[in-house]
Amino acid sequence: MTATTTTAFDSGARTQNPWVKLYILLAIAVGLTLYSIGVGAIRVPVWETVQTVFGVGSGKFDYIIQQYRMPRIAMAWIVGTGLAVSGTMIQGVIRNPLASPEIIGITAGAGLASAVLLLGMPEVSVQFLPFVSFLGGLIAAALVYVLAFKRGISPARLALVGIAVSAVFTSGIDYLMTSFPVQLDLALIWLAGSLWARSWEQCIAIAPWILIMFVGCLMMAHKLDVLALGDEQAIGLGVRVEPTRLLALAMAVALAGASVAVCGTIGFVGLMAPHMARRLVGGQHHILLPTAALVGTLLVLIADTLGRIISPPVEVPAGVITSIVGGPYFIYLLYRHRGW
Amino acid sequence: MSRKKYFFKRLSILGLISFLVAIPLTSVQAGKVIKHEMGETTVPDNPQRIVVLEFSFVDALAAVGITPVGVADDNKGEGALIPEIASKLGEWTPVGARKQPSLEVVSSLNPDLIIADLKRHEAIVGELNGIAPTIVLRGLQGTYEDNVASMSVIGEALGLSDQMEKRIAEHRSTIEALAAKVPASESRTVLPAVVWADGFNAHASSSYTGELLEKIGFKNAIQSAPGKPYATMTLENLIAIDPDVIFLMKYSDVTIVDGWKSNPLWNVLKAVKNNQIHVVRTTLWAKFRGMIAAEIIAADAIKLLY
Repeated sequence: MTATTTTAFDSGARTQNPWVKLYILLAIAVGLTLYSIGVGAIRVPVWETVQTVFGVGSGKFDYIIQQYRMPRIAMAWIVGTGLAVSGTMIQGVIRNPLASPEIIGITAGAGLASAVLLLGMPEVSVQFLPFVSFLGGLIAAALVYVLAFKRGISPARLALVGIAVSAVFTSGIDYLMTSFPVQLDLALIWLAGSLWARSWEQCIAIAPWILIMFVGCLMMAHKLDVLALGDEQAIGLGVRVEPTRLLALAMAVALAGASVAVCGTIGFVGLMAPHMARRLVGGQHHILLPTAALVGTLLVLIADTLGRIISPPVEVPAGVITSIVGGPYFIYLLYRHRGW
Repeated sequence: MSRKKYFFKRLSILGLISFLVAIPLTSVQAGKVIKHEMGETTVPDNPQRIVVLEFSFVDALAAVGITPVGVADDNKGEGALIPEIASKLGEWTPVGARKQPSLEVVSSLNPDLIIADLKRHEAIVGELNGIAPTIVLRGLQGTYEDNVASMSVIGEALGLSDQMEKRIAEHRSTIEALAAKVPASESRTVLPAVVWADGFNAHASSSYTGELLEKIGFKNAIQSAPGKPYATMTLENLIAIDPDVIFLMKYSDVTIVDGWKSNPLWNVLKAVKNNQIHVVRTTLWAKFRGMIAAEIIAADAIKLLY
């Protein structure tokens, strides 16, 4: 254990084959997916569920299974992957175990943009929400990058600027929430992050985007490993540090921005998933990234499933549940990495 | 297994998912076309199983003696409704919170008409239409007149236009009769306000309740432009406006007003000096917004002031 607790980026001294763990995770995620299709406010018999999934059911539960549960579960895979891979990239670039999409301003930027739309401009259609949210995340991340740029990006400066910019944006959200307490409902659901009533159309719109980015991240895996050694070593090993960092951050922004755009800000997944994955399979990005994606998927899937079955027919947003787990986990991380 | 193989596995999962997307939606039935806030929807001629996702629509159905099969009741059951309306209804099924109704439960009720609120449900209209023909109206955001106009649309959608128009005419005369009880010389200003633990939200002249009270002859202390129905206020704001009568709709047992009472400034208010602060039924005054509710609100206000 001493080897594993000294730094966040150790290889993990893992004895077992990490690929085996990856497949075990995959099996768990698939199992949970099946379970999640079977549970909810309305009881659907198991065999009927299976038949309906394959389109040969009685038709009675077609909507519930095919149009309600399945798209949101698919969405859990998509945004779980998006947020977790984004977090992994950011932690890799900033070399800070406490970094997450929140830290480079994406979450706060997307949140503020959504709040402006939902609260400040109630006459504008909510159909614009995903675009506005994505744009907000992008602007905030660009702002963080520009402000942190001083002959290159130092990881620590990026993190500090990110926290400062996020704080400004978050106070903007607070201002809007206190100014417009009446129209809060939609905004609160959005800011909490929820998979409620997601459609196949939304899944299809976002899935290729996340998939391409994910593949792009995997192609950068080796460079990220080298970057983790520190700037001097990375330069010594022939990696062009600044362009690599910019590209990795851009991918992270695109992934988290797209995820937040469709589901709101599901908190802490981008922080927790890379950590758990690193504990499981070590710090090599070619295995860390897919593992984090699966852990992220599991977190979102568990949160959403719980949210649906805690007190039906009332739904608890997935983001509320991830935050309940994520808050204490963050404190645990702070404790574990004190003095970092 | 190599990385590549793993990707193919992922790809095949995605492939399976997209295959399942290709499942056809239900076909469109014959019926009539209803124009509403989000376009036009073909609604069956005489819908029998109606799900309502906002309270003002429950009021509309009750006004013509129809019981919805599902009501978004915020998980409060009968308590979500005012007794005057609950007693008019038969059995209905709760479908979750108004802001996040459970589409599973809505779907399980096999509705043939869904009535949704523009502000709350705009984002899920596509999903709702996948379950049943959905009409979208201004319930939460509407003014009093918007609301009466919505009642007409609901009557049309139900295939009960005649009954609904008759009920609306009755409503108009009830309100006129109530207005006649308010003397023309009435010069007091009123201010209805929702209060909770840390907020005071005034309902100005262009709000639902504000407009209704103006209709029967009570001038609102805040004359607001259309589309600006509410105003968040501090004690200082309230003193500056100094309404003659305040109606409090309490969202929590202890409210911000309890704190203000210990402030010496509180006693400066005309409404305090003249003992004209009235705590009213929150569900009725702040949530219902329909003809039945409006008639009771108007009658209550007159009873409280004379």
